[in-house]
Amino acid sequence: MTIQRVLVANRGEIALRIIRACHEEGLEAVAVYSDADRSAPYVRAADLAVHLGPAPAAQSYLVIDKLVAAARSSGAQAIHPGFGFLSERAPFARAVEEAGLVFVGPPASAIEAMGDKTEARRRMEAAGVPVVPGAMAAVSDPAVAASLADSLGYPVLVKAAAGGGGKGMRVVREAADLAPALVSAASEAQKAFGDPAVYLEKFIERPRHVEIQILADGRRTIHLGERECSVQRRHQKLLEEAPSVAVTPALRERMGAAAVAAAKAVGYRSAGTCEFLLAADGSFYFLEMNTRIQVEHPVTELVYGVDLVREQLRIARGLEMSVADGPLVPRGWAIECRITSEDPANGFLPSTGRIAFLRAPAGPGVRWDSGVETGDEVTLYYDSMLAKLIVHGASRAAAIGRMERALRELVVVGVATNQPFHLRLLADQAFREGAIDIQFLERRPDLVAGAPDPVVLERLAIAAALAEDERRRAQKPAISGEPAARRTSAWRDQARREGLR
Amino acid sequence: MRYLVTIADRSFDIEVDGERVVVGGVEHTATLLDGTGTPVRNLLLDGSSWIVPMEPAGRGRWTVMRRGERFDVEVIDERTRHIRSLVGEGKGTAGPATLKAPMPGLVVRVLVAPGQTVAAGQPLLVLEAMKMENELKAPGQGVIAQVLVQPGQATEKGAPLVTFATPE
Repeated sequence: MTIQRVLVANRGEIALRIIRACHEEGLEAVAVYSDADRSAPYVRAADLAVHLGPAPAAQSYLVIDKLVAAARSSGAQAIHPGFGFLSERAPFARAVEEAGLVFVGPPASAIEAMGDKTEARRRMEAAGVPVVPGAMAAVSDPAVAASLADSLGYPVLVKAAAGGGGKGMRVVREAADLAPALVSAASEAQKAFGDPAVYLEKFIERPRHVEIQILADGRRTIHLGERECSVQRRHQKLLEEAPSVAVTPALRERMGAAAVAAAKAVGYRSAGTCEFLLAADGSFYFLEMNTRIQVEHPVTELVYGVDLVREQLRIARGLEMSVADGPLVPRGWAIECRITSEDPANGFLPSTGRIAFLRAPAGPGVRWDSGVETGDEVTLYYDSMLAKLIVHGASRAAAIGRMERALRELVVVGVATNQPFHLRLLADQAFREGAIDIQFLERRPDLVAGAPDPVVLERLAIAAALAEDERRRAQKPAISGEPAARRTSAWRDQARREGLR
Repeated sequence: MRYLVTIADRSFDIEVDGERVVVGGVEHTATLLDGTGTPVRNLLLDGSSWIVPMEPAGRGRWTVMRRGERFDVEVIDERTRHIRSLVGEGKGTAGPATLKAPMPGLVVRVLVAPGQTVAAGQPLLVLEAMKMENELKAPGQGVIAQVLVQPGQATEKGAPLVTFATPE
């Protein structure tokens, strides 16, 4: 089937990213929106827009039937799922396929194979991909879980079987904490994925999170090197970079070959990512495959000169990927900072409200992928990520310097963001040396919380005093500046004098 | 005009006379440019240029920002300061301590019951917001007096959740 119009089954930043790719590919884009997103920038950017329902995702962005119906009614021939929401739900991909539409992503069977984490581990082991030691089956009985944990040795990790993005995950360091962790992880998994199944695995101390980007078009399956995403808080990635300081060209080829083998083992097509834990000794373990475009895909795009979303669209249309055959070498360094509406000064708790003003960074080597603009409302219905700030530089040091410059240009008024956290992180010596691992931030609460600079406080105090002084001077004439008699009219004064005669 | 400016628990004595600003006895030249329709103002302080987004937050109150850090600033004049010192405003709040919702959200689980003694840092309840479960912890040791919410209940920011018994 010829694809001319693509429905984007997502919202916010990634919806806009996909709509832009559609337009560059000469395709029309259909946006879908809930009650909360009618005025969102991505809806304005689309060629057509279909209302899905109420704000809660369970009644809008997660309803398969509504999305398929929206594609039909808008005349779209394909559906791009983005990330999150239904992107890794095999029943969605299958429903799209069964409706005679093209799913811009892997076949439902590949999502299914990788989506069940225990099944995926079995397949990966069979394909010769190294995996983390752990229990292969979902556990719910605390007694069974306890004996499994004992055999693995603490610390262990409780993970949602249907999970991703850190939801439904708990590190357990001693036996006494296991039972409550099972309950809370299962409850979070149920809420996030509609499936409470969790499993256990050995927790590897201080590994780096290094992932390999895959692209497969049914003819070739290639890797586009690594991204390092070790800077995480509560399993949520905050800053990603490509390449990784810990990956040599030889290691890149070994990890890349493992990722390609993993993708081939499930008959993968489209863009996907194999996540690995990389230990200090260079050994690496397959964590999971994300069968979708990822949040941090732009850093790979910048160092390899590839547009991954456009490649996804090409592959969905049955075309070959446009990436040249032969060895690919990363050029320079790219860094992405996730700008979230979380307040570092308040324990990273979500901040909501209206964005009174937004000024995006610009200039050489800066890319701003945003889902919001001035005037938009940040609600609690969806993810806290507002935008992604991505920079490219000749070296890691150059990229860090450029990111600091770009972050200083960013102005967000109305909601708190994690911008101060990123500035502290980029200035940190250990980060600059690349001495990071996935527990880095756990050891560095000083980077997470920070303390205000007294010099800055004095200058802000001066600015506030000047603003208050200006406000008072502006108000004076109307309130108290003039005696009451002066405000009466000359005509009335005249009348009074007449009356006294 | 002379002001007492309080920001992040620090106070500054600032006298403003046109472009002449005296801070703690030290004289500066300062101008604050209009944001031309935006909250982003430009402070020129002794020739140094500072971008300062700010918004009014009520009489004598401003929300001031610097590279994403937000500060609530209070600016009061000498007369107000004098009246406050006579009235003794702001000193010692009576009544039991209360845990308030730091954000709007949904109560997922309540982990404590009235009468229970809790340690500092002990999780009291779990509030869900933006798809994440956030554990709210006891600010200090104490005894739970009342639990004002139940699982499934939506709360507004600042809503009281749990009260602590007043120490005897």
